Amino acid sequence: MQDVNVVIVFYSRTGTTEKLALAAAVGAVQGKANIRLRRIPETAGEEEIARLPGWKESHDRMSWEYIAPREADAAWAEGLVVAIPEWMDLASPEVKNCLDALPGGKVAAALGRAGLDQALTAAGMTLVQPETGEDALDSARLAGVRVAETARAARQNQP
Amino acid sequence: MITIRKAKDRGHADHGWLNTWHTFSFASYYDPAHMGFRSLRVINDDRVAAGKGFGAHGHRDMEIISYVLEGNLAHKDSMGESRIIGPNTIQAMSAGTGIVHSEFNPSPKEPVHFLQIWIQPAEGDVKPSYHQMSFEPQEKRGKLRLLAAPHGDLAEGTGAAAIHQDARVWASELGAGESLTQPIAKGRFGYVQVARGNILLNGEKLGEGDSASVSAESSVTLAGDGSDGGEFILFDLA
Repeated sequence: MQDVNVVIVFYSRTGTTEKLALAAAVGAVQGKANIRLRRIPETAGEEEIARLPGWKESHDRMSWEYIAPREADAAWAEGLVVAIPEWMDLASPEVKNCLDALPGGKVAAALGRAGLDQALTAAGMTLVQPETGEDALDSARLAGVRVAETARAARQNQP
Repeated sequence: MITIRKAKDRGHADHGWLNTWHTFSFASYYDPAHMGFRSLRVINDDRVAAGKGFGAHGHRDMEIISYVLEGNLAHKDSMGESRIIGPNTIQAMSAGTGIVHSEFNPSPKEPVHFLQIWIQPAEGDVKPSYHQMSFEPQEKRGKLRLLAAPHGDLAEGTGAAAIHQDARVWASELGAGESLTQPIAKGRFGYVQVARGNILLNGEKLGEGDSASVSAESSVTLAGDGSDGGEFILFDLA
């Protein structure tokens, strides 16, 4: 069984959605995928970041630990997981730029924000239907597993 | 039979932030003649620049051992471990069903030099686990310090990490003229990786980064060579 490539893209301020993304990454690895974790770059200014407790610490740490999605990731990915905080506006520049940069035709899962699944479908993705887990993190893990498995099946079905 | 692999014949990649030598095929270095030895799959001799490192990535069904020679390495994983390890510490991780981790050099100035060792597990899909133990430098001076041993086969208090393979891993530092002998049971194999300095293996000269596989020998005698001796990792493999 060959490994498939799954890219997990997320936006996070204080680390909550990062945890979802990490859980999805573990799921994808459990589903025998190679993974890349990519953080959508922050556009907020320093003053705004300083206003929310914990944001600056997380921002500094995540800036160090993750890189932003690159064009090469889109070509590499056979499956995608996109994780956006529940409160986040789907029309925000962070989300919009991310969705615009995503290649169509990939197997994908949406985590966090309601309506993100429709946005991904509109961007040309084939959404997976993961099982619901014991909690949000477990559900994210199951979404990662399902994306890896579905991407592998899609590859095998190719002529 | 002792088969020597010279340091300069290893795979090599210099990415600027990472200068790495691969004893066995790894990443973009692929040589079908060097895919590992018995269950030993990877020995990477890595130097990572200050503040740089390996971002979050996944592993499955692999026993991963990190051994720092100089500097520090920050580790964070999906099991919730967030640690900084330095020299004279064994870090071993059973990836099993799947883990995600990152490894960075937390220093703003100093590089980190470490060996990363992968051993293929005897069983797949084990529950992921993490082990970290530190020891005193004198525990490896002139003798073998056990770093890892088979799961369920550990004597209490050895301070070694449990791995899911019939393999034992030791570190040792031998000064010039110091020596030790370790038996190798019939049908088993050995592997020696020189971490730094110079070592004699059954009389054969090994320099820094050199390694050697050992087959059909009843024992290995290792001695510190040159003016300062050296440090090595010894494997006993099924």
